[in-house]
Amino acid sequence: MTSSHPALTDTRTRNRALLRHVLLPTIFLTVALLGGVRVGAGGGAFVFVPPPLVTLVLAVLMLALFARGGALRVGRWLSADNGTAENVSHALTLGTLFFASAQAFNSVLPEAGLPRFVLASFFLWTLWQNQFSNFDPRRLLRSLAALFGTAFFVKHVLLASLFQPGEGWLSRLATAALEGVTLGTLSGPPYAASTGYISFFALALYVGGLALLPPAPDAETDEDEERAAELVRALSLLPARERLRVFETAGGDGVRHLAEGDAAPPADAEAVLLTEKEGRD
Amino acid sequence: MKTKLIKIVGIAWTLLYAAFVVWLYVAAPRSVTDVATQASVAAGTYEVDRARFDAGRELFLREQYAAARGEWERADPARRDARTQFYVAYAFYREGWGRVYNDDALFRRGLEAADRAITLSTDAPLAVEDAELKIHSAAELKAELEKGLERTADDFNPLKVFRERK
Repeated sequence: MTSSHPALTDTRTRNRALLRHVLLPTIFLTVALLGGVRVGAGGGAFVFVPPPLVTLVLAVLMLALFARGGALRVGRWLSADNGTAENVSHALTLGTLFFASAQAFNSVLPEAGLPRFVLASFFLWTLWQNQFSNFDPRRLLRSLAALFGTAFFVKHVLLASLFQPGEGWLSRLATAALEGVTLGTLSGPPYAASTGYISFFALALYVGGLALLPPAPDAETDEDEERAAELVRALSLLPARERLRVFETAGGDGVRHLAEGDAAPPADAEAVLLTEKEGRD
Repeated sequence: MKTKLIKIVGIAWTLLYAAFVVWLYVAAPRSVTDVATQASVAAGTYEVDRARFDAGRELFLREQYAAARGEWERADPARRDARTQFYVAYAFYREGWGRVYNDDALFRRGLEAADRAITLSTDAPLAVEDAELKIHSAAELKAELEKGLERTADDFNPLKVFRERK
């Protein structure tokens, strides 16, 4: 049993390194790429929309929110304790996260007119308000998923159906009613339905990337240690017989090792005594 | 050791992918085919489709200017060949030229193509040796197109109808 531990740890370390140094930058760069892609309604030509200034501001607020919410401990991602290559790699990962955030906003913000202004203001207000709220990382992720989901629905479902070619009487009525109020255009450039699919994929990838992003590079190790400590605490509270059952379920090796007199915590010693007693009976 | 390798590979991969994303946004290809064309331009392996160019020239000589431009567009989709752009500009000039008045819209597009031809021939002034053409340099063609777009008192000269198309 003890011989399998280093291999398991190696695999885990390698997988975590792959996640941090390869997978996360790839996910975020793909979001940065797809977030600005639109497909023209006419000939299906690609249009690449670079991140506008407002989305960069929103991305800064978003990263600040991650830092405040504990979803991102920048001081541990970029630390003097890390090696140069590690810091460079982490800086690149955080850079890709920034541009992915900007392009995720770019993907769900309407192209022009009043809807763009309203949604941009809504995003700014929400992100600014959240700076002063108490968030745990999971709640923050859920809140962001809801925020992007709402914006996606407004842009790619509501507005797209309102301004699609061959519009119905409702969209004509809405446009006519609001055109005078906005003193500008309500509709943006016409895009094909596939733009919505690309945006959906980009957002799903972005939220998935955020879910995979550890608050700190070594956060998983901390979590493992916390879980182990919790397990030891829970075991020590169990009666001796139940504790023995746990050991038996976990594997005979552990009981045998303890019976052979290896170093064991006091709680385990009781289990060993019980095993020996049962053996005599 | 393995982790260090992953870090280095991760850095290289991230930089490469980021460069690709930036390049896509700068080149702004309009289709998947265009991505391949732009990539060949970036790699320096881009070449004009000679057969399509010749087909376009045949159409040009038969005064099928729009069709000729279509062929040249397909021959040089990235608009990176100075000679092809010169011919495109020439096609706009000939189609837009009128004995009484010129088509300004076509002349403007011709001017854009002539500018492209000049920009692309940075090493030496572009000169096209073609016996069927009366203008052989891009600078001369540009001047002719600019002259056609100008509004002068000479536009009202009735003798203008006797001028010759180049």
